[in-house]
This record gives sequence, C-alpha cells and structure tokens, in this order.
Amino acid sequence: MAPKKKEEPKPAAAPKPPEPEPPKEPEFDPKEVQIEFTAEQIEDFKDSFQLFDRTPTNEMKITYAQCGDLIRALGQNPTNAEVMHVLGKPKAEDMNSKMLDFDTFLPMYQHICKAKDRGTFEDFVEGLRVFDKEGNGTVMGAELRHVLATLGEKMKEVEVEQLMTGQEDANGCINYEAFVKHIMAG
Amino acid sequence: MPGIVVRAQFSELQSVFFPCQHSASFSVPAMRAALLIQRWYRQYVARLEMRRRCTWNIFQSMEYAGEQNQIKLYKFFSYLMDHFTPASSERNLIAHIFRENEVCRDAEWERYFNYKNIEVPEFYSGPHLNFPLTATNATELVEAFRTKQQLHSRYVLQLLVETWKLLRILPNINHVSTCHSKEITICGDLHGHLEDLLLVFYKNGLPSMETPYVFNGDFVDRGKNSMEILLILFAFLLVYPNDVHLNRGNHEDHIVNLRYGFTKEVLGKYRVHGKKILKLLQKIYSWLPLASVIDQKVLILHGGISDTTDLDIIAKVDRHRYVSTLRPPKQRKSSAKNKQSDQDSWDEDNMTRRRVRSMTYSSPGVSRPEVQRHSLQTLSSQVEEELRERRRRAGFSLSHGDLHNSLSSDSDSDPGENLETDAEDWKQVVDMLWSDPMPIDGCVPNEVRGGGCYWGPDITREVLEKHNLQLLIRSHECKQEGYEFCHNRKVLTIFSASNYYEVGSNRGAYIRLGPDLVPHLIQYQASRSTRDLTLRQSVGRTERSALRALREQLFAHKSDLISAFQEFDPEQTGLISLNHWATAMESVLQLGLPWRMLRSQLVNHTQDGKLNYQSWFKELAIMEPNTQLAHTNLLETLYKHHSNLETIFRIIDTDNSGLISFEEFRQTWRLLSSHLQIDISDEAISDLAQSIDFNKDGSIDINEFMEAFRLVDRTQQERSNSTLSGVHPHLLQSEHPTKTLLVSASPHFV
Repeated sequence: MAPKKKEEPKPAAAPKPPEPEPPKEPEFDPKEVQIEFTAEQIEDFKDSFQLFDRTPTNEMKITYAQCGDLIRALGQNPTNAEVMHVLGKPKAEDMNSKMLDFDTFLPMYQHICKAKDRGTFEDFVEGLRVFDKEGNGTVMGAELRHVLATLGEKMKEVEVEQLMTGQEDANGCINYEAFVKHIMAG
Repeated sequence: MPGIVVRAQFSELQSVFFPCQHSASFSVPAMRAALLIQRWYRQYVARLEMRRRCTWNIFQSMEYAGEQNQIKLYKFFSYLMDHFTPASSERNLIAHIFRENEVCRDAEWERYFNYKNIEVPEFYSGPHLNFPLTATNATELVEAFRTKQQLHSRYVLQLLVETWKLLRILPNINHVSTCHSKEITICGDLHGHLEDLLLVFYKNGLPSMETPYVFNGDFVDRGKNSMEILLILFAFLLVYPNDVHLNRGNHEDHIVNLRYGFTKEVLGKYRVHGKKILKLLQKIYSWLPLASVIDQKVLILHGGISDTTDLDIIAKVDRHRYVSTLRPPKQRKSSAKNKQSDQDSWDEDNMTRRRVRSMTYSSPGVSRPEVQRHSLQTLSSQVEEELRERRRRAGFSLSHGDLHNSLSSDSDSDPGENLETDAEDWKQVVDMLWSDPMPIDGCVPNEVRGGGCYWGPDITREVLEKHNLQLLIRSHECKQEGYEFCHNRKVLTIFSASNYYEVGSNRGAYIRLGPDLVPHLIQYQASRSTRDLTLRQSVGRTERSALRALREQLFAHKSDLISAFQEFDPEQTGLISLNHWATAMESVLQLGLPWRMLRSQLVNHTQDGKLNYQSWFKELAIMEPNTQLAHTNLLETLYKHHSNLETIFRIIDTDNSGLISFEEFRQTWRLLSSHLQIDISDEAISDLAQSIDFNKDGSIDINEFMEAFRLVDRTQQERSNSTLSGVHPHLLQSEHPTKTLLVSASPHFV
C-alpha cells in the first residue's frame, strides 16, 4: 500500500507570517507517562499490535507510519498532529523505515488516551450542525466534501469519496445524525 | 525508482495556515467541526483496516498452515520409503506417491501421449484446433472458454504435446526486451480464475506481437478453470513464442495439485484421458522456465530470492529434473551395491531413495539389508523424534554448509561433488518459487510455508547489485490491492486473482512496463456486485467467511481444545478466564491469530468475565455429527485431516474411477494415523468404512466420502436450502436435516 502522508506539506516561497498555531507544546517524553492500563488491557493491546507486525519472526515491531492507525484502531481518535507529537516529530522518510516495539508504543498510546475530551456523539453532531444552513437536520453533501478536503487536516478526494458513499440522498443532502451514527458504528 | 512529486498549490497551503483568511465564510466552529469529522473518519478507517487485517490473517494463516501440512506429509512418506518396509499391501501405496517420471526416452513418451487415436465425435460442439496453431485458433479458444465450452481431450493432448516440445528448447531464464517501443504486461497468480484472465485481456488486449506478456506462475489450483487458463496460456505461447513468457510457480507441481484442486478438476472434466493429461502436465511443469529478465534490468520470478540466489547458477541448472520442487531431484549416478538389495517394488525409485537416504542417515556404510525393518503397526513416538531430526537436516532449512557435511558423511555415495551441486541447484529453485519478503534485514527459513526463505531489504540490495538489476517483480502472496511495493520500492508483488479468499476480499492487478522500466499498475475486480459495496460491507462479508472457516477449525480440534481448557480449570468448574481461553486456543490451533481481538466475534456470553466452554461449543452453531457414526472423536480426527486423506486417496485411485476399496481405505488410514500418531483400532476403521459405503457395494466413493466430512453452520442451513442441493442423496435423512451427516458451505481453500 502506498504510504499515507501524515505531515502537512511545507510552505513554498511564502514570506514567513506569525504562527497562528496554538502555543508550542513541550517535546513528548515517554518516561513522564504513567501507565494506568490493567495487565489484561495490555494483553489486548499486544494482540492488536501484533496484527500490524509484519516481521515473520514475530519481533513485535511496527513502522512509525502504522502508529497512528493502530492508536485509532484501538479506539482513540487523535489528530495527525497529536500522533506526530507522540512519535517525536519524525522526518517523512523515517515514517516507513523506522520501527518501534510495543514498550515504546505503550506510553505513546497512554498519553493519547489521557488527552482531554475526545468528542462525543453530541459534539460531533454540533460540529456538523454548523453547516446546516437551513436548520433542518441536513447538510449539503457538496459543502461537506469541500470542507473536509480544504479545512483542518485535509482529507484526500478518495477518502472523502469513501466516507460519503451512500450517504447523500437524491438532492445531494445528508442527514447528519444518521451520518454520525454511521461513522461512530465503525 | 523515481517518484513523481506533485507540488501543492500555494492557495491550498494558505488554507491550512490561514484558514480564516482563505475561506472568509468559515468560522472557527467550522474549523473545529472539520477537524472533529476528520478525526472520526480516520478512526473509522483504522478500525475497518484492523478488522480487514484480522480477517486476512485468518485466511492467510490457514492457507499457509495447509501448505506446511502437506509438505510435512510428503516428507513423512519420503522418510517411510527409506527406512521402513510396511506390510506389503501398503508398500505399493507409498511407491505410488513417488512414481514420478520413469526414466524413458522422449520418443517413448511421445508414443505414450499419442493423441492421434483419439477421435473427435461428430456431435462435439466445442472448438477445433488446427496445428500449427494460428492467432485465430487462440482467439477462438478464449471465446469458447468464455462461453463455458470445454476443449476435447484430443486437442488438449495435442496442444500439450506441442507445448512440451517448445518448452524443452527454452532456456531457464527468459530474456525479454522492450525494444521496438513495446510495453510489456506482467500478470501474477491466476489460480484458475478465468474471469480475471478474461478481464485482463479485455482491458489490456490479447497477447500478440504488439502486446507481449509475462505470466508469473501459479496458473492453477483453487479456482475452477485452471485447465482453461493453462490451455489459453499455452496456445498463445505457441502462436507468439517470442512475445509470451511463462514462469513456473510453486503450484506448477503435481504434488501440490493433488491437494489444492487441480488434479480433481482435470479428472472431473476429462474422465477418460485425465490421467494422461496430468502426466503430460507433470513434464510440462518441469520444463517451464524459472524466471524472466527484461532489458537485463528487471527480474521477474514467482516467489523470490535468498541470500544464495545466483542467476548464473540458475541459468545452468537442469530445470526439468525438478518435477516437484518439494522433492530433491533424482541423483545423477547410482551405486551398483545399493540396487541389488531391494529389487522388488522399489526399483524405479532406487536412485531417488538413495539420494534422500544419504541426506538423512547419519551412520555411513549401512547397506540396505541391515536396515532395521519395522512394520507400520509398530511405529512409535521415536519415529516422530527421528523424523524431526531428519527433517531438520534434510529439509528446506538446511544451510549449504550443513548439507555438505551430512552428505559427505555417507561413505556409500559417490564423491560429494555431484550431490553438492544437486543440493545447491535444488535450493536455488526452491528459493525462487517459495520465498517471501520481510521488512527486516537478513534471510531466514520460511517455516510458515515450509519451503524457501524470508528475505530482507539487504538481500534485495545485494542480489540486484550483483546482477546489475534495478527491480524485482514477484507474486506468490495475495495482496488486497492486487499489488504491493516493499524494500524501498525495489520489490513489487503482483497478484492477479481478484476475490481470492472470498468475493470482495481483494482486487487483482497487472503491470505495464515500457522502455523506461517504470511499472504502471492497473487494478480490477472480477465481480461487479462487489464494486458497489461500501468499504464496511465488503470488509464485513469477507470477515463472515473467514470466521466461518475458523469455526470449522474449532470443531475439528474440539477434543484438543476441551483438554486444553480443562488444564486451566483444575477444579472442573466448567469456566475459564478469557485470558486462558486465548492462550489455550493458540496452543492448540497454532495459527498465530490475535485471539483476544477475535474473542468478541467468537464468544457471545461470559459469566463475570469467564467463559463456560462446553456451552460455548454448542453456541458456535456447528452441527453435531450424525449419531449413527458411533466414534465421534474419530469423526473429528477425520475431519481435521481430510485434506491429507483426500490427497492420498487421489494418489491411490490409479484408474481414476473415484472409488477405492475398503482395503485401500484401511491402508490409507493406517499410514496417516502413524504419521499423526493417533491410535485408532482397526475395528473402528472397518466400522467407519462400512458405514460410509452408502450403496453397500464394497467400495467407497471418494467424493461422497469427502462430502460427508464437511461442516455447515446450523443457522445457515435453516436460511438457505441451496446448501442441501450439494448433498449426496444418500446422506440425507428425510425429515430432519439436523440429523444429516455434515454438509458443507466451506470455502474452497481448505
């Protein structure tokens, strides 16, 4: 599979403006993370970790690029920026070649789990309501596509397509409560 | 390989860093909303990916466990032949397995495969072939197969004979060039999926001088049109010998075909001449080239490479000596003393056996009469131990050095040199057809499959450098997208059988390569209905199929599993913790699956975090076997090993009648039970044989027998009656379907 691009492209010849981003976070230090999982939970995580391990000799190692996927598969939903943060902001070329073992992964995952409010069903619906121009429980599919592809941590066209398949009605509208249930049931 | 970089538009970049500026209509809440949706979407995809991977894992580990299983069986027979003289009735059985091509001159072979006497009847409505074949013939053949016609056996044999003659003059390595500005198309495993081949031809064009092709092995097995695929490929090979190139795969092997369906397909389609066709195919397989090289820069072979791969050696091997890559070739010279000792039924295979013996015997100078003879009945666990040791030394995991040492210790043998080259050559061939890449450096034996190696990026670098190559294209592993790059894009896996594990499980793909040698990939999926499924629906469907297959395995190992559970339950409460459940599952099934993840799919009810294992088995909705067959644990055992059983049956059914006698059944079972170290009384076997002789004529129908030992989901059966249509009438008990012998919905790869 082609590697997913996780980093934002660097700006081309633009003059450097003041950073609009939130204040810089301190570097991630795994040693400062207190592991609060039970032994049982850790065994469960190991199973999932192993699923991503492609070494035939079962070395329990995954690539940096897979880290984000694994964290999400286990039930969290960090932003790409948060993932890069716990990985220690690796270089693009390292993403597919550098590997980490389970003990390195665990504190990263714990840190993400401890992060503030992840967003509930209501938050999600609220977020979509922003685009509900007519206040009737639907958003325009086209607008949603545009937003997802141009704002925040942009999605690729093929990803947007995958997300929206079968969600729009004949008028190109999406009932967003149903949409959210669809996403969260995954 | 140069990548193609697309520069991001400046305006897009602005929208990331200055969202407010760029899209004045979008406020901060909108931004936050977008981010939230994106995060959730990514989680959704990751969870689906996890499920997909899990499912994949299930299918793949069962597939490879099956391969490993077969190799073990084969090695066991090999060992038996060398060291034990079974009771005379069983001797023939084993000899059969190794009755490979008798040493014969080609002219004799041509007489044997004489198709001229075979008449094509008037009413035959299938395609007619004229030789030498023309492009029109080949095209008509494709069209005929597309409309589900079957080629008459006379034409089949004729086509195969012509193919054989051509292959004999081809070198081990096809050298192909893209001069004349030609783009070359490369296809991976097809595995009898005719619809995929037709799709490729439709999208890409039929093979011709303008459209050259390389087909990278594994044309047969598993799918149900392996014969048609072979015939099409061979036809185009004959018409365009300079533009169509075939590489041998690990399934171009008659031993593998016994287990994975091709033999069955041929015997089913060609009842009269099937055996001859199979025999001829054995020869053809051994004459298939081993690799292709494009413009001296791109290497194409089926499996892969190892740290000892050397194209110069490969170019010189006698490839036709490797009739089955699972077995070392017959030795070139034989020593006279060995021949006299046991002349009766072993004669043809003397040379081969001596060769195998020399690798497995540690004490030199022991001539055959002194070998201690055991009858099969008295085999004990020390056989397994010895065998393990022999396997370790005689098997694929042998390093070159070890092999040389064990060979030279046999003083009976000719000077080590011939044996050494033989062993080296054999390893080259096996590695090429069986190896898989791995992400870490090094080269280790491929224990999962039982043959070849796992090789790392450093080996790729070395081998490519040694031969001044820039890319390695291989197949052998199913990939979800039909292809996958690895080793820093120096290795490209291409797989052309879509829906391989299950409808919707994966796409197929092929490569177009022009003079710039940059691979362009085209993907497809044969079944229209799956394209419209959402990702989750597609994943779900494959998942259900995998879980069904897995549940069958659970049934097959029920007694072992219950014993393992009981070890964790010394107080016999009937309950075990979920943790122990997972550990026990892996220790019995040894499939390397993530049981904790699968737990939610396999276990419905727990009491305080514990599982009641007896009732769990009932919940799996696997049918209980017919109580008429009293020995239910025997049934389970038979089910577990039914693939092996089928393989052996097909070997002994020499006249392809589909029937075997009770005696043959008993012999087979005795052989298998010594391999598996099961203790089953003769009486139990006899009883079983009699009860499955449905028409009471003293013989057992192989297909009927195999049908009887497959499982169905109780819930599925209630839903669809179509399952029952596959049942032999004898197996049905009128009003109560639940009392029937087990009837199948199992996937075909088992």
